[in-house]
Amino acid sequence: MNLSLLRTMLVWISGGALLIAMVVDTLAMFGRALQFPLIGSIEIIQAVVLIAASGGLIITTLDHAHARVRLVLDRLPSRWRRRFETLYAVAAALLFAALLAGSLWITADLWSGYEESEILRIPYRPLRLAVVLALIVLLVLALRRPGTRESR
Amino acid sequence: MSAQPLTGLVGVVALLALLLAGMPIGFALGLVGLAGLALTLGLEPALIKSGVLVFETLTRYELGTLPLFMLMAHLCFVAKASRDFFDLASRLFGHRRGGLAIASVAGCAGFGSINGSSLATTATMGLVAVPEMRERGYADTMATGSVAAGGTLGQMIPPSGALIVFGIIAEQSIGVLFTAAIVPGLTQMLSYFLVIALWVVLRPEAAPQLARSSWSERRAALRRVIDIGLLVMTVTGGIVLGWVTPSEAAALGAAGALVICVLRGRMNGQALRGALEDTLRTSGLIYLVVIGALIFAAFISVTGLTDAIGATIGGFGFGPVGTMLLVAVFLLLIGSVLDGLALMLLTTPILLPLVADLGLSAIWFGVFLVRAMEIGFVHPPMGLNLYVIQGVAPEVSLGRIFKGVLPFLAADLLHLVLLVVFPVIVLGLPQWLGR
Repeated sequence: MNLSLLRTMLVWISGGALLIAMVVDTLAMFGRALQFPLIGSIEIIQAVVLIAASGGLIITTLDHAHARVRLVLDRLPSRWRRRFETLYAVAAALLFAALLAGSLWITADLWSGYEESEILRIPYRPLRLAVVLALIVLLVLALRRPGTRESR
Repeated sequence: MSAQPLTGLVGVVALLALLLAGMPIGFALGLVGLAGLALTLGLEPALIKSGVLVFETLTRYELGTLPLFMLMAHLCFVAKASRDFFDLASRLFGHRRGGLAIASVAGCAGFGSINGSSLATTATMGLVAVPEMRERGYADTMATGSVAAGGTLGQMIPPSGALIVFGIIAEQSIGVLFTAAIVPGLTQMLSYFLVIALWVVLRPEAAPQLARSSWSERRAALRRVIDIGLLVMTVTGGIVLGWVTPSEAAALGAAGALVICVLRGRMNGQALRGALEDTLRTSGLIYLVVIGALIFAAFISVTGLTDAIGATIGGFGFGPVGTMLLVAVFLLLIGSVLDGLALMLLTTPILLPLVADLGLSAIWFGVFLVRAMEIGFVHPPMGLNLYVIQGVAPEVSLGRIFKGVLPFLAADLLHLVLLVVFPVIVLGLPQWLGR
């Protein structure tokens, strides 16, 4: 998939999720003050924040914008820096692979449990699948030509 | 391999080495934590634990506060609020000697109240205040030093990204942390005002006196910040008084900032997309770091390293104040080579149990830790704020910027000692409000 299309989709889907969280939490606050509580608002926010955070993780990885200490790295010759970048791309792939394995494990274990939220009965299966999908994208991004691009 | 404190210590050293070698913080924390858990508990529990932590973190209601506060900050950027805060402060104080430097610090505090990042505050205020001060004949040391130091207020004045992350890692109330940070943030700002006042007494030529603004100019500047000011007061006041949860306050702040952007005629599809994209990028960074930190913390707790460190330090018999001063020295040393977030995530799982053993409050420790982190932003070799300011004013050497920040650094160290000796500075307001 074209990366700029992926980015545009992520920004609007995840950003939209964030805007939904903003609206729901604001309404919940006013609703509580006006004695019209918005029942289950926290459950909606939990679900949409998961979408927003997953998209955020992908955008950060896409932009090589993860936080790091640059004290030593910036002083290395460029050849060494490239080697370190390759190493870090492998490290990222390892971490995402491990997180994916763990998430798949849990998802498989709980699949037949029909987990859902308490009040609105939001099913957890799609949420767990969204996390798995996000981790697959992160793994693919980490494996994609490691070290050929300088991190920001 | 059995779980022993030595295993934990090896993990900490490995993590420190990876961080210094430039591995992204989230990857380093997660990998060391996973490797440690796999070695001590086995691969299966390590993977399952990490899978559980990923889902829990991404669906955590309290952590949703962070992207919403970031959205509020990015929307305030769109509304061009940073310039307005400085303009108001410079109209009020600019005619006094050193007034523009005081205005810069006050502007940083104002901007810090909508934005939880030291670097963003320094960069934004630096672009506005440093050129203006230099143009008006201020010494480059004072112009750059005041903004580099003032920028650290972004991390302390609520809402603070660092305090939210600490609250999640340490399982403490974010609302109480925000309330506890208010007096330290204000006293920090006042200490900077004092430094500037002393500076102009000793070196009057460093800051020339400027023309006084008329009251109509002041009123116009006040009108420009009144909408954002009311939003900030509602958000922060709501949290402090317990009317709203931090998450609700963040949502209200973001919604209010969106409305302000629309009312100021600055909102369009491109601006909204830009704000959302910046928010998501920063949020993704923090989420990965938090996931990594929680995995690392799980590993450290399994090894019993914190108990061993607690027993060792307790054996010195320094008492709470002596021990925390020792911890402050340790944090400042480590903070000279690690950035603030890395410092917090590396040390919180190790030091928090020690703090509990000493009978100290975790809330106090969170504020103390953030204060120590902030100092790392202005002292070399890390001193990220110094580099940010040099990016804004490339013709001022790093040495001059550091010379300018030195008096503020002295005030910072004194302030940190005061927080240790008088914990009431941190805990007084939450206790008074019954939080």
